[in-house]
Amino acid sequence: MTACVSLAAVTFTYPGVDRAALSDLSLDVAAGEIVAVAGAAGAGASTLLLVATGLAPRLIGGTLTGSRTIGARRCGIVFARPWTQLTGLCSTVRDEVAFGPASYGRPREEVLAAAARALEQLGIAHLAARDPAHLSGGELQRVVVAAALALEPDLLALDDPAAELDPDAADALYAMLPALGRAGTAILIATPDLERVGEVATRALALDRGRIVRDGAPAVVLA
Amino acid sequence: MIGYVPGHSPLHRAHPYTTLAAAGAVLFAAFAMTEPFTVWLLVLAGAVLAASGGVLRPSARTALLLSLPIWAVLFVIYALLGGEPRVVVGPLSLSAPGIARALVLGGRLTAIVLSFLTALSTTSPHRLVEAMTARGVPFGRTFLLASTLTILPRLRERAAQILEAQQCRGLRLGGSPLARVRALGPLALPLILGALAEVDEQVLALDVRGAAAGVHRTALDPPPDSAVQRALRWGLLALVLAAYAWKFVRMRG
Repeated sequence: MTACVSLAAVTFTYPGVDRAALSDLSLDVAAGEIVAVAGAAGAGASTLLLVATGLAPRLIGGTLTGSRTIGARRCGIVFARPWTQLTGLCSTVRDEVAFGPASYGRPREEVLAAAARALEQLGIAHLAARDPAHLSGGELQRVVVAAALALEPDLLALDDPAAELDPDAADALYAMLPALGRAGTAILIATPDLERVGEVATRALALDRGRIVRDGAPAVVLA
Repeated sequence: MIGYVPGHSPLHRAHPYTTLAAAGAVLFAAFAMTEPFTVWLLVLAGAVLAASGGVLRPSARTALLLSLPIWAVLFVIYALLGGEPRVVVGPLSLSAPGIARALVLGGRLTAIVLSFLTALSTTSPHRLVEAMTARGVPFGRTFLLASTLTILPRLRERAAQILEAQQCRGLRLGGSPLARVRALGPLALPLILGALAEVDEQVLALDVRGAAAGVHRTALDPPPDSAVQRALRWGLLALVLAAYAWKFVRMRG
């Protein structure tokens, strides 16, 4: 299988901090893999997502040593706080979700079709005409996940994606992931919700102070 | 009231460039006007613009609130402390040329503030983004302009949420002016720090969604433009140029 992202002996340190957030970390994520990333607060799970998607250190600064190869043509990322991920420029949910594909200059019909598919996948097609500024936290979280899916990413990084969701919506979100994996999207999920992620992940990592301490089957690693 | 107010007025339906051109025309024309009468005609034009957008009352109220302190300063500097000849108005002896100067400067300010508040109230940031995208304006510039237009309403909304939270924790807003100033601390600090922290994540989210992709974005619903509106924009430009030509001729004469 093709590696969507390959990290070899990667160490990453945030700007102005002495201690490395990731230390000597090596990881290959193949297309279609659903990788759960577990660890206590400060273990480096969120940082791993930023490094794997190429956002660190490019946008947030810091230093990265080791080798990193991102094979994914397009990456999507979702953070725990959905309101920080809105463009603030769109007056409808449809336009918010369509923002990504439109930014890549795809034809209008393709953009709208991708947005419609993503809204359908998240079960929020009925929100398409609503103003994102007037949605609940749970609705907004599904909108930002849909916005990431509309990009049709090869690598999707989800950082505690169900933080704002009620239990049913969280179940629905996790239930959707295996289909994405089968379609070839590699997924990295950092979450404290080990029960839900354990049911859908094909592989799990346990991080401690920026190092992978366990890597294997979710039933073993997350137990 | 500073920020977009949804509506269906002719100004709301107009192409965003037309509304902004009208506000821009008032701005430039204001500096070409040197007589109180013409400047206050411009204020009247600003009021007509606001009325046509259905936002006369809120825009005029905000414009007055913003302009009044400046008027007061202008009155003191020019009308009270200005030169001869002087006119007596009740108990005050005022400078006649100073009054004219204060009226010109105050009128300019009022006309400009009023017209820009009207443009802000009637120009949907989303339509503006779509219009600029359709014209091929790079996203960075579009985002900069649209964010500037939306920053005050967003901060106001956030401040209201923080205020509610702080009041739940016992913050009291009443009392002496000093107590009110003290109460600003628990409001301002989370407002600024929260906004800065969220900017980081927004930058990441926008980048992943192609904001810096460097390709021509696809406009999904560009607002319709018409020959009439284009002619109107050229007409406004011509009026501004004519105003400056008139000013130049008068200065030479």
